Amino acid sequence: MSQILPVLHILSKVLMLFSVAFLLPLAVSLVLEDGAHKAYDEAIVATLLSGLVLWLFSRRGKRELHTRDGFLLVVLIWAVLPVFSAIPLLVHMPDLSFTDAYFEAVSGLTATGATVLSGLDGLPPSINIWRTQMHWIGGMGVIVLVVAVLPMLGVGGRQLFKAETPTPMKDSKLTPRMAETAKGLWLVYAIITGFCILALWLAGMNWVDALVHAFSVMSLGGMSSHDASMAYFDSVTLEIIVMLFALIAAISFSTHFMAFRMRSLIAYRFDTEIRWFLGVLATSILGLTFYLLYKGFYLDFPEALRFAAFNTISVATTLGFSTTDYNVWPYFAPLWMLFLSSFIASSGSTGGGIKMLRAMLLYKQVYRELIKLVHPNATVHTKIGKQPVPNKITYAVLAFLFIYVASIVVLSFALSASGLDVFTAFTAVVAMVNNTGPGLGQVGPASTYAVLNDFQTWVCSFAMLLGRLEFFTLLVVLTPVFWRK
Amino acid sequence: MHRVAPVLHVLGLVILIFSFTMLAPLATAFFAHDAAQHAFDESFAVTLVAGFVLWLVGRRWRRELKVRDGFLLVLLVWTGLPAFATLPFMLYAPDMSFTDAYFETLSAMTTTGATVMSGLDILPPSLNLWRHLLQWLGGMGIIVLAVAILPLLGVGGRQLLKAELPGPIKDSKLTPRIADTAKLLWAMYAALTALCVVALKLAGMDWFDAICHAFAALSLGGFSTHDASVGYFNSPLIEAVLIVFMMLAALNFVTHFLAFRQRSLTAYRHDPEVRGVLGLVIASCLGISLYVWQAGVYPEYLTALRHVSFNLVSLATDCGFASTDFNNWPIFAPMWMLFLSCVTASSGSTGGGLKMIRAVLMFRQGVRELERQLHPAARLPVKIGGHAVPNQIVFAIQAFVMMYIATIVTMTLVLLASGLDFTSAFSAVIACINNAGPGLNEVGPGTNYAGLGDFQTWVLAFTMLLGRLELFTVFVLFTRAFWRG
Repeated sequence: MSQILPVLHILSKVLMLFSVAFLLPLAVSLVLEDGAHKAYDEAIVATLLSGLVLWLFSRRGKRELHTRDGFLLVVLIWAVLPVFSAIPLLVHMPDLSFTDAYFEAVSGLTATGATVLSGLDGLPPSINIWRTQMHWIGGMGVIVLVVAVLPMLGVGGRQLFKAETPTPMKDSKLTPRMAETAKGLWLVYAIITGFCILALWLAGMNWVDALVHAFSVMSLGGMSSHDASMAYFDSVTLEIIVMLFALIAAISFSTHFMAFRMRSLIAYRFDTEIRWFLGVLATSILGLTFYLLYKGFYLDFPEALRFAAFNTISVATTLGFSTTDYNVWPYFAPLWMLFLSSFIASSGSTGGGIKMLRAMLLYKQVYRELIKLVHPNATVHTKIGKQPVPNKITYAVLAFLFIYVASIVVLSFALSASGLDVFTAFTAVVAMVNNTGPGLGQVGPASTYAVLNDFQTWVCSFAMLLGRLEFFTLLVVLTPVFWRK
Repeated sequence: MHRVAPVLHVLGLVILIFSFTMLAPLATAFFAHDAAQHAFDESFAVTLVAGFVLWLVGRRWRRELKVRDGFLLVLLVWTGLPAFATLPFMLYAPDMSFTDAYFETLSAMTTTGATVMSGLDILPPSLNLWRHLLQWLGGMGIIVLAVAILPLLGVGGRQLLKAELPGPIKDSKLTPRIADTAKLLWAMYAALTALCVVALKLAGMDWFDAICHAFAALSLGGFSTHDASVGYFNSPLIEAVLIVFMMLAALNFVTHFLAFRQRSLTAYRHDPEVRGVLGLVIASCLGISLYVWQAGVYPEYLTALRHVSFNLVSLATDCGFASTDFNNWPIFAPMWMLFLSCVTASSGSTGGGLKMIRAVLMFRQGVRELERQLHPAARLPVKIGGHAVPNQIVFAIQAFVMMYIATIVTMTLVLLASGLDFTSAFSAVIACINNAGPGLNEVGPGTNYAGLGDFQTWVLAFTMLLGRLELFTVFVLFTRAFWRG
């Protein structure tokens, strides 16, 4: 108990703070009179009260948090907030089951973007805003998680990120204290979101849609206010804007922060991930464009490029919008896009997957082993941006990859044993652990996750949390060692 | 030239010796008066002369081979011999393409067991014997490869096997020189094969079938003399005999040898892999039979147990016999069997895949990283059989597993791009890289690999080779460092 109480105490504060988040959809609901305001009233009261009760109950356990408490706190926040986030959905749609509502909320807060709801166009605007506002808040959480919390906990070689940001900039450690780091990054996040809203509005969206989609893009979530997702607008300008901001969101926010502070683009040049990120993405888009042309799926180059570029960027950055049902493309194309989603996002971004930095390190480690076969006694260092990476971190990254693959295998088996076909099961799991959103087969971009049964839905919710918390955070809390003194 | 020529000299000798193995089918053809006799006459002559010429030409550059030459030699042996082995097929059936013939012989010599041939029941006995003999010879090669050569080259953490045989048995390094080791293990292999032949004969096969199936079982190849594979016999007794010998072949031949010499079973107790292999296989047999029975495929549990046991053991050990079309079972069952094929076989066996010891080590390393999350400063060695494994070896194994996964992903995407469906592509790659044999769907146990295009056939042939030579042996030849200096 002495282990949990202090964590619960912090959690209670987070809950009370979180209740403020319902004010935006409440205001929207009151202004537009869309009839959903009761839902937010109840949510605010329930969240605030629960927070208060928890606060009172846990007050005597208050103490300084240790590193170990960090794991539990992170897991609890990401598992408990969706419960309260689901309240407006449950109140407004009484026939929605808790399983589905929780899935929707987890998908929201982990910025995954998978949905069990259809008929989105007919939902009250405030509900749609709430769904994507969850993304946006989740995105804020993710940024702090990946830039400050996970490196401190040392999850999956994240220390690398802490110690090894590009060399020439000496103040790359950002501001020393976590709170200030968070504030700096959130400011950048909010400013870019502001630009995105404005751009989308200028390009022709109404302001509710602009708000919804900007929230979705910046957090790389992927929920939309339309069943047809971005295809509803059928506008090249809007697609270009969304692609641009999706790319920005998939780059490390500490790099953006540097660039802001130095008023110069030089920060981007020193970010080792960006070159690989853009290179792989550009090559893939061109390759897929030609592949689709070759297969006769599109007849002229600009059209093929338009669809290949948007959907590839959207899936690869783990956003998850779609402008066409790419499930009907030849299998290679969507599977390649899903493959990209597993590693292409930068380590300090709101995207999911194993992150580009880890992928680079893995690649270099394999190369090192090959060299070692030829020169068994040579000392070969793995380097990222000219600096050798300590063995300990390489270890952690390799173990991270192993857990990542093992999780995909185990969860796919769980889904397929419960009766889903292999293709759907596998792509759903990949889309979940990468926090991408749409899978393929039965859960493709043109359908929703409503086809899953309760067990499968829970497996998917778990997979989203697992991916978002970078596996170790969640798994550590589930080990007996964690609870031993 | 100075790098390649001495290797070619040795290769010439190997081909020369290999040509004499054609005498066995030649004799069979002679006595059975079958239609393939001239094919073997000519093949024997061509191979003999080619080997001799190569040996003669290479003699000028003759020198002691270095460790580094081993990579090239191993690759050339495993690609060169199958090329000569295709001769009897192509001479007998002129309409068989080189692509298909090479796939068949490579599949044999890597003991994969994937076939492009049908109408096996009416094939001349000498050709069927040749197919099975190739598997058996491949098995001999693999034992030496796994026990002596790969550890010497240090591929994928194989040193582990060399240095870390179970504690109390002190002479576990066997005789120091490769040749002696090979002879002892081959004697063991031959003795077990002879036992298997007798057992199969007693169980009801005729001598010819018994010899062929014993060759396929001990090498974990999986060819059969019948299109219906072992399903042709429809005999629980034969299936039981094969299960026993497949399990024996999936254990380390070094352990068999030690047990034989000590006339005691303690050697098995000290083998860190045996428990894993048996536990995993038995638990899976019981569980999957229950699953298949529950799904209503078989009316009785015992029938389910019989079919599941045989096909599961066959696939898990990377043998590849089939007694029924398990493609029709609920997809979870065959997928699980394919998954087992990745990890079940022991490191000194004729099976393929990652090998049990690497799987165990990866699992322990995953657990260690979880513990390190909680105790960042603690020293937590990874242990196998009571001994701490050096970090360098853990590294090499992690890189190996990473490469293994990357290869599966890449090859699957290549097959998808060439137009195969997902399940077929993925399962074919898994079946080939593990040297198991049948995949699912289009390449399932009810069909064979003949339906693939030429390009796809070559991709899978390459995949078999990669799996058999444990990836790094091949990949190292693509590095510049290998050819320099």
